[in-house]
Amino acid sequence: MKQFFVGAIGLSMLLSACEKREEISLPYEGDKIVVNTLIQPDSVVYIRVTRSVPSSVYDDAGYKDIPGAAVTLTAGDESVWPLQTQVIKGLSYYVSDRKAVLGLQYKVAVTAPGLQPVTGADTLPAAPLAYNAGAQRSSSRVEFTLKDHPSSADYYRVRIYMTDAATGRGTFLLFRLDPAFNNSLADFFSKGNYNSLIMNDKRFNGKQVTFVLQTEEPIMNAGEMTVEVSALTYGTYQYLNTLFAQRESGNVITGSPVRVFSNVTNGYGIVGGINTRKMVFKIE
Amino acid sequence: MSLALKLLTGILILSFPLSAFGWDWQTRVTVVVKDQPIEAVCGLLEKEYGIHFSYSRELVNLSRKVTLTIHQQRLKKVLDELFAPDDIRFARVGEQVVLSPVQRSSRTISGFVKDAVSGENLIGATVYSPVLKQGTTANQYGFYSLTTVKDTNSLVISYIGYQPFVQKVAAKGNQMINIHLQPLGSLKEVVISAKESVKLQEQTQMSKVNLNTSELQAMPRLLGEVDVMRTLQSLPGVSGGADGAGGLYVRGGGPDQNLVLIDGSPVFNFSHFFGVYSLLNANVVKTTDLYKGAFPARFGGRISSVVDIAMKEGDMKNYHGDASIGLIAAKFNIEGPIVKDKTSFMLSARRSYPDLFINAAFQVDNTLGSGGNFQAFFYDINAKVNHIFSSKDRLFLSFYQGEDNLLLKQTVDDTSYASNPSKYVGEKMKFHVGWGNTIAAIRWNHIYGPKLFSNITLNYSQYKFFTELEHKYTLAASGEKSDVYGRYSSRMANSGGRVDFDYRPDPRHSIRFGAISTMHNFKPGSSVFEDKDSHVTPLDTLDESPGVTGLELSLYAEDNWQIKPDLYASIGLHASGFLVEGRSYYSLQPRLGLRYLLPRNWAVKAAYTHMNQYIHLLSSNGTSLPTDIWVPSTQNVAPMFSKQIAAGVAKTTANLKYEFSLEGYFKSMHNMIENKESNSILAPVETRWDENVTVGKGWSYGAELMLQKKKGNTTGWVGYTLAWSTRRFPGINNGEIYPYRYDTRHDIELVLVQQLGPHWEFSASWHFNSGMPFTLPVSGYAGTDGASPWEPGTGNTGIDRYDNRNNYRGAAVHRLDVGITWSRQKKRWTRSWNLSVFNVYNRKNPYYYYISADPVQQQRYLSKVTILPILPSITYAIKF
Repeated sequence: MKQFFVGAIGLSMLLSACEKREEISLPYEGDKIVVNTLIQPDSVVYIRVTRSVPSSVYDDAGYKDIPGAAVTLTAGDESVWPLQTQVIKGLSYYVSDRKAVLGLQYKVAVTAPGLQPVTGADTLPAAPLAYNAGAQRSSSRVEFTLKDHPSSADYYRVRIYMTDAATGRGTFLLFRLDPAFNNSLADFFSKGNYNSLIMNDKRFNGKQVTFVLQTEEPIMNAGEMTVEVSALTYGTYQYLNTLFAQRESGNVITGSPVRVFSNVTNGYGIVGGINTRKMVFKIE
Repeated sequence: MSLALKLLTGILILSFPLSAFGWDWQTRVTVVVKDQPIEAVCGLLEKEYGIHFSYSRELVNLSRKVTLTIHQQRLKKVLDELFAPDDIRFARVGEQVVLSPVQRSSRTISGFVKDAVSGENLIGATVYSPVLKQGTTANQYGFYSLTTVKDTNSLVISYIGYQPFVQKVAAKGNQMINIHLQPLGSLKEVVISAKESVKLQEQTQMSKVNLNTSELQAMPRLLGEVDVMRTLQSLPGVSGGADGAGGLYVRGGGPDQNLVLIDGSPVFNFSHFFGVYSLLNANVVKTTDLYKGAFPARFGGRISSVVDIAMKEGDMKNYHGDASIGLIAAKFNIEGPIVKDKTSFMLSARRSYPDLFINAAFQVDNTLGSGGNFQAFFYDINAKVNHIFSSKDRLFLSFYQGEDNLLLKQTVDDTSYASNPSKYVGEKMKFHVGWGNTIAAIRWNHIYGPKLFSNITLNYSQYKFFTELEHKYTLAASGEKSDVYGRYSSRMANSGGRVDFDYRPDPRHSIRFGAISTMHNFKPGSSVFEDKDSHVTPLDTLDESPGVTGLELSLYAEDNWQIKPDLYASIGLHASGFLVEGRSYYSLQPRLGLRYLLPRNWAVKAAYTHMNQYIHLLSSNGTSLPTDIWVPSTQNVAPMFSKQIAAGVAKTTANLKYEFSLEGYFKSMHNMIENKESNSILAPVETRWDENVTVGKGWSYGAELMLQKKKGNTTGWVGYTLAWSTRRFPGINNGEIYPYRYDTRHDIELVLVQQLGPHWEFSASWHFNSGMPFTLPVSGYAGTDGASPWEPGTGNTGIDRYDNRNNYRGAAVHRLDVGITWSRQKKRWTRSWNLSVFNVYNRKNPYYYYISADPVQQQRYLSKVTILPILPSITYAIKF
């Protein structure tokens, strides 16, 4: 393929593109509170609160916490759940003392000195009816079955995680829907592979469907594979979908930049519901 | 008569009756009246001199008001001057003067104006009677018609680049005279600026620019190719988008809003090589008219501009042609008579050729494996035949086909699968993508009479795009096979007919009217997908968008009318309807223009026009790409329409050396479409495309100034545009107005052509435009992927926050291109070398921007990518 592009763009080589840094200061909207939490039923709630930064800032260590921030988690009508801060993998989280349950709305409010208070809220989706996940060694196809709820608009995310038996290392695999499965010429032509598949149920509402995924590379090693299917609320779906789109668009400035969805009033981030079912099986 | 006398007001009467008993033609009279009808003057003469007038009021109209100050002049002369303008004859019968209308019919002189050497019709040639100060211009087929009520002894026919010709006209009735103009020895002195053969102040049409083939040839070249679109981009009011792209953005309009006509047939995609070159070989273009506003009623279907390209017809007298080779393409053109002075042909072809060398290199190295192949080229073919059946009938057949093609066939002869079972065995791949236009037309010119000319056109225009991919392999480890084939294609076709009439009843009116019928066939997306070795059950059926047929019907009429000696109007109406999928749309589009002549060769002009567009272009990012598809208006997306008002002044100096025009305009555009913000992910075409777009408005306004030097060894122009262009779409930019992505505030164009003796010609063009807007993030913040930080993949995710669209302006674009041509005439042929340098001072103009990250410095910054550095090129051409 590399040679192809060298050849195909042979004409363009005459036009030898060059890049140059532009010495401008990128605009900045000002500091805002950022709230991020995806709330999973039967799990404690992890809330991360950070501060926005100018887009000229490169921060690969996580964004800065807000000292003195007051975070409130309200479940249902008026029940305020206690939170305690906890540092996990080097980042600070506000963690609830109890597990989230279905049927309640969860609201997060944050105040901090010098910053505009923010709030965000969402409910939790029902667990996805996903089962029969399987894959074979030396193949690139992974299958699972999903039974969609007929009475509602449903939203899903699918990821594949593989732990190598020999090294113990785990990684999310790049994959796509098998082009033959959804007749997607776009997938076929682009040969694009992604680490998640985010979709709604418009094309299979109420049906039981066996999905066929095609991994970028054949599964050659033994290990443990996890097919993770998450049901999403509409807010979470919009958030993950636009986040995916912004990542896919790369860093090129296009005419139509992708705005990542946020349901945090006066701030940024997401307070969203998610319900993940993990199907774990061995690759022998 | 006594009543008339009572009506005389403000009259100063001094009368000296010489005889109370008689008069003759030599009798000297004195008459002073102010703003009185002729009838009152007659009454005065009767009272003071006893001259009785006898006439029939039904035949002779004496109501015209006159102001006279006559002292002691002969009666005959006074009556001559008084009655002549109204064509009233007078005669003495006894003691009475009998008045009667002049029995003189008008006459019409008509015919074609042609090149004396090649027989090509000359579009826009001027036919003028200096004595009567009346004239007309030849239409797009070279036909002229001049109806005059008075005797005409001679006509002067002129056309830029040709020797003016005085045509004697015999004193008889209607005549058909074909006029043959001799080309000047060297066309080059007029090539650059010959914007119009008619002086600017003598045409009511405004917001129009004309380019002829000589102008195109004089421009500096990009990689050796003369180009129509690039030349149009160097005119005020026209933007080409990013440096290196080949779009056409006219007065703030989009690339889908331009009606491009080749010999009257519409073209859907006007470029090769992703917009770098026009689809036409410039050597076969006779003339190009660009209308930026003040659209004549005969045009319709797009809302921002009309590019009307007339191709050469073919030499009726001699065979000749040309051939040239540049860095990118080689081409030839040949034309000549099939039957001398009756039938001629023109044939031209062009192909880019660098891929031939690249493929040869691949074959030598066996880079693509056995059976491998690489092609990446564009080509176009033009053919035209025209036949003169009689002095009144002429037929044109024309055909165009052009295509861009990219093919890669590759076999991977990789034997590493023996040691690495994750590899493929016997992998074969074929990728093929192509797009292009096919246009065919039949036109029939017929002259019904000296005042009425008609043209009937049947045409077909198609644009299609296809891409296909085959991929076959066996996985070494498991023997799992894959044999996949996919093909996607889209097609847009127009077939239609139009009849146009050109009626010149008298010199004060030039009337055009006609009807247009166009059948639009939309086939936006058609897919075939086969996976021969897959066991999976497809999720749904093929992504097959149904074909849609729409019928567009139009009627139009327009009159260029001389209301008063110094006041002219162009009044037109374009009425159209569109029937699609059981729905119907219609529109009435007024087209109005006014011109008022001022002293010292100045004219002030104004125009107001409506335009309608029933088809929309679905584009992924607002620029024009081969994959874009046309779709008809739907219940959710109504037809686009625009309203434009323009006003300005224009002047051509008396010596015809300089032209000056200054225009201001305001244009509103309605029902434009834009992808919804949440729909930015590339997705297969869906049947309900209109659910993925938002419908909004746009506004553009500004001023354009152009100063041109048209004659002499040094010619060229200076153009300046000051412009604003904005958009507003629900759901985008919070519903607020934002700058259009091709909104550039200032645009300057300088073009110079210098003759350096008989063999050398130098040309230069300098372009400047202020930066185009784009959208930068206003902050960055953390994101998340999962519920629990303990899970893998839930770590640091950076998100860019975007707020106002197009909130930042990029760097200004400027560039100098130069070219020098050496040519030498041999006995039978001319050869020439052209050396052009594109972007002489290697300005790094932005093509696009992206945000880079520097982990070491913990910084992100803006980077720009430039694709067109300094590019010299050389072209060799022969002409015979």
